[in-house]
Amino acid sequence: MASDSIKLYSLVYAGLVGLAALNYVLFEGGLDLAYDISFVGTMVIAVLKTALVVAFFMHLKWENRSLTYLMVLALVLTLLLMSAATYSIT
Amino acid sequence: MIESLILQVADEWRAQSAVFDEIFFVFLALGTLVGTIVVSYTLYNAYKYRDDGSDPDEKFDPPVLGELPTGQGGPKAKKLFLSFGLSAIVVISLVVYAYGLLLYVEEGPATDVEEDIEITVEGYQFGWEFQYPDEGVTTQNTLRVPQDKVVQLRVTSRDVWHNFGVSELRIKSDAIPGEYSETWFSGQAHLEEPLEPGETETYTAECFELCGSGHSYMKADVIIMHEEDYQDWYDEQLADAEGEDTEGDG
Amino acid sequence: MSELPPTTSLRRWLVTTNHKDVGIMYTITALFFLIFGGVMALLIRLQLWEPGAQILSGLAYNEAVTAHGLVMVFWFLSPLGFGLANYFVPLQIGADDLAFPRLNAVSYWLYVLSGVMFAISFFQGGTLSAGWTMYAPLNVPMYTPSIGSTGAILALAMFVASTTASTVNFLTSIHHSRAEGMGLMDMPMFTWSMLATVWMMLFAFAALLSVAVILLSDRVFGSLYFSATEGGSLLWGHLFWFFGHPEVYIVFFPALGVMLELFQTFSGRRLVGRKWAIIAICLISVQSFLVWMHHMFLTTINLEIKTLMMATTIGISLPFDLLVFALIYTLIKGRIQFTTPFLFALGALLLFILGGITGVFLGAIVLDYEFRGTYWVVAHFHYVMFGGATALFGGIYYWFPKVTGKMYDEFLGKVHFVVFFIGFNAVYFSMFLGWETPRRVFEYDPAFQTFHQIGTIGAFVLGGSFFIMFYNLAKSYLYGEEAGANPWDYTRTAEWAIPSPPPLENWDGRPSYASGKLEFVQDAVADGGHADGHGESHLDEYPYWDKHPSHASIWPFAFSVATLIFMIGLSGVRDSVSLSLGETLATTALSMSNPVYPVFAAVGPILMVWTAVRWGTEDFYAPPTAIAERWPFHGIEKVKLGMWFFLASDVIVFGAFISAAVFIRVNAGWMNWGPITEPLPGLINTFVLLTSSFTVILALVFARRENAKGLLASLGATILLSFTFLGIKAWEWHHEVYDKGVTLTQNPHGDPIQASIYYVTTGLHGFHVVIGVLIAGYLFVRAARGYYREDQRPLEYFGLYWHFVDIVWIFLFPLFYLF
Repeated sequence: MASDSIKLYSLVYAGLVGLAALNYVLFEGGLDLAYDISFVGTMVIAVLKTALVVAFFMHLKWENRSLTYLMVLALVLTLLLMSAATYSIT
Repeated sequence: MIESLILQVADEWRAQSAVFDEIFFVFLALGTLVGTIVVSYTLYNAYKYRDDGSDPDEKFDPPVLGELPTGQGGPKAKKLFLSFGLSAIVVISLVVYAYGLLLYVEEGPATDVEEDIEITVEGYQFGWEFQYPDEGVTTQNTLRVPQDKVVQLRVTSRDVWHNFGVSELRIKSDAIPGEYSETWFSGQAHLEEPLEPGETETYTAECFELCGSGHSYMKADVIIMHEEDYQDWYDEQLADAEGEDTEGDG
Repeated sequence: MSELPPTTSLRRWLVTTNHKDVGIMYTITALFFLIFGGVMALLIRLQLWEPGAQILSGLAYNEAVTAHGLVMVFWFLSPLGFGLANYFVPLQIGADDLAFPRLNAVSYWLYVLSGVMFAISFFQGGTLSAGWTMYAPLNVPMYTPSIGSTGAILALAMFVASTTASTVNFLTSIHHSRAEGMGLMDMPMFTWSMLATVWMMLFAFAALLSVAVILLSDRVFGSLYFSATEGGSLLWGHLFWFFGHPEVYIVFFPALGVMLELFQTFSGRRLVGRKWAIIAICLISVQSFLVWMHHMFLTTINLEIKTLMMATTIGISLPFDLLVFALIYTLIKGRIQFTTPFLFALGALLLFILGGITGVFLGAIVLDYEFRGTYWVVAHFHYVMFGGATALFGGIYYWFPKVTGKMYDEFLGKVHFVVFFIGFNAVYFSMFLGWETPRRVFEYDPAFQTFHQIGTIGAFVLGGSFFIMFYNLAKSYLYGEEAGANPWDYTRTAEWAIPSPPPLENWDGRPSYASGKLEFVQDAVADGGHADGHGESHLDEYPYWDKHPSHASIWPFAFSVATLIFMIGLSGVRDSVSLSLGETLATTALSMSNPVYPVFAAVGPILMVWTAVRWGTEDFYAPPTAIAERWPFHGIEKVKLGMWFFLASDVIVFGAFISAAVFIRVNAGWMNWGPITEPLPGLINTFVLLTSSFTVILALVFARRENAKGLLASLGATILLSFTFLGIKAWEWHHEVYDKGVTLTQNPHGDPIQASIYYVTTGLHGFHVVIGVLIAGYLFVRAARGYYREDQRPLEYFGLYWHFVDIVWIFLFPLFYLF
């Protein structure tokens, strides 16, 4: 398989490790950032990490796009539940 | 709907029971009409196009085993959209109308808030406790109110999820532990004629959410009294509450 | 073990994986549950004869009410639809069987044994008495202490496992095994309805599983979710109804599919506005997830969201309008045959119309403010759900000749319909007349007594009508006239083109619509033959063997029995085991008052693992359809597609747990909580898990390169890393409990619910890691024995699961360690 390059996977792994470290630094690294900024930054990092794992390790970059849409649908439903329920008590 | 907006502005305001009766009547009338038309139409056509054993029409073109499904388009599809459109208009209008009344019910009547009586209703397995504005004045399973004030109810629960509802007054609210939900009513608005001193009107409150083995028995009396009788009664309650206080076990 | 014994032997039914056999079993079992739920209903109706009657005590009445709802909704309605679907969806799409035959068998066995579990719960101190809606906190042990209450919920969880298996199976089958020339728009309407049903099920039942698992955590382990005053009750409302609303369409759609078929067959006309009917079905499926708060209009949710939900609720009535009119117009200019199936389908439509109109009333919030908790709601949903499901009985009569080869007695069928219809309206219309009666009470205003008495009489008439059907079907099966392949005049779908009953492997030749109509193509043998059609061929990617497909396996049954043992054990663990925390782990005492439950709870999982391993190592051959239409999921191998559907539902499971954490925290005030634990162990575990994802993908690469040492080393590293993760987690929990005093129910540093949420959510994730370790261990042993050289698919699919577990941690880490 063309995508079976150990080098590529190693690069992705290195990226993941770097992002995880960044997660920690945002909150505990003594940067003294506002909570909101750290929160948003963390969520952005989480999304990036997820994208890397899903696209490369789980191979969706090369699979039929319909699988990606399927997972996006699941994510959208989760966010719908989370945001609507939380909003309803504000 | 316009009427209800005017009602919010003017001094005359309507009890929830009146609002419900109006809306229910409108929906029932329209629902029955639509239902009758659709059901009759269906039964009529089912009868008209029954297979009575005679030879089929030349144009009769039934589905054939193994064909790919095509459905029917043409004039019938147009009819479909017409019917769909009409029913959509009916349904959406009904809901827009209902929305106007919803705003009124949520807002409550335009009274001077200071004059309203705020009572906390606490449901428990298996009864209702009513806590009046003054400390120590609580009653079990009987809610007495004067006819001339708007009563604001804050409903909660001590244990499980209950629901406090008085069918005749058309008020109801969930009683959820940790939450306070709100509803309101007014004797004056609901009663057809005001009460004379000495007269009362009693309604039954029931529990409308399954709450355990005593759910069926969880009832309370809601008694609307003449304002003077209510004041006498309330003063007595206050005196009792203070008396208990001085005895040291308030 | 792939030869099927004959239908007269018991063994045949225990080992069969054939979709037709499974369909028959589902249908018959569902009808048993109809009787079970029906008896509950008759008990309720007897108690309603007089206000305050005491045939049953208050608690027993609540048990009857609860059991009636649970059994009818879960164990009767959907399984009946799935019985028909199991038999006929593969036939309608031209497939040989469902995509995963053993998974299909396990769906059935988990279903029937979960029903057994539910029945057992009556004898464990009384079953659940909190209503089928199981509101919180009535559903926690403080208010419903019986072991049977826990047992009932475990039965439900087991049932959800069954439906998840079914859902993945049907989704993969319909998207992967359609005959050549049958695009999605060419599928029959019954199959379309089933497709919409399983799409909704994929996401809805995942939410139910989450809420059931959280409740079980409260009941078995003592966590505090649903007793929390920081929104525990509302949390239940949101999670349950997020499932509960799509559920009612899940229950109705199979019946709708039957109606759509029968209206065409018995009028001799094609469906009016077919394309729009399909669009309406798709719209409803999506919209069903947007309306759930209309079950919560009287709670403390804000006015804005209530208004939005009112709008979406009215919105969802519109596609239903279209479907109703499409059905009615189909009849026009037809030649309508008033056979028993058609009578039931037409009757279902009329009942559904009445029920639907009353639903519009409920959508207008102001009216719902009064209808809430009254018999208006009960009457409404019986008209739409049971009234709609009436079509399923029509389906039974319609397809009975195909399944048995005999014709049912038409006169008795019509008698059944008349008695049924009269009884139905007597029960449920009387509920509209006496609507002000509160739900689930038997002490009601005497002014309504006449209505309730009519209802009780009607209920017995309705119940009795079913015995006409049972007698008719039994008698006809034994002595009925031969029916032939196609006893109806105007059928169109493929099941009518084969003998009655169909042969084991369905077709003589390969069904294909490539020429514009159904034909049975004789292909060459599957090792090289490649027909001309535009369907997709699997032959290049998939290792085929020159073998006959398998039809029998004992492992689905065995695994289900093991699961039942586990569930029974779990139901009584809390009552028979007590844990007293000492100062240290060494001084923590575990005492057991009754060994039976804990032994079952320990033996059950061991048996589950053993039967699963036997399942995995069994030589069961279920090849995918060689030539099939697969759009939009073309180019995806069958098992991979099934894995991705499963993962989509697991997203919702974890999503619901995370939503619960967020919801409670917002309710308590987001900034009032800080992280319970130090972030460092979490960070280390993040690195550990990321590295294990890397080693898993390396394992796959090495396997593809046929590098045995690399494969074993990577798998071994993955297992070691997983143990490291679990070890660090164990250390962390030990530190929290013994050094900081933060347990499942106590939190010296803040709200106790926060501690519960932390342990349960990270515990659920940890449980997924444990499962992963078990699978990885199995793969390691198999790899060492030389497997996965040619066929690396198990490694690839394990990788998908493992990466998913990693992704969940990517979100849990900030949520619990940083925020």
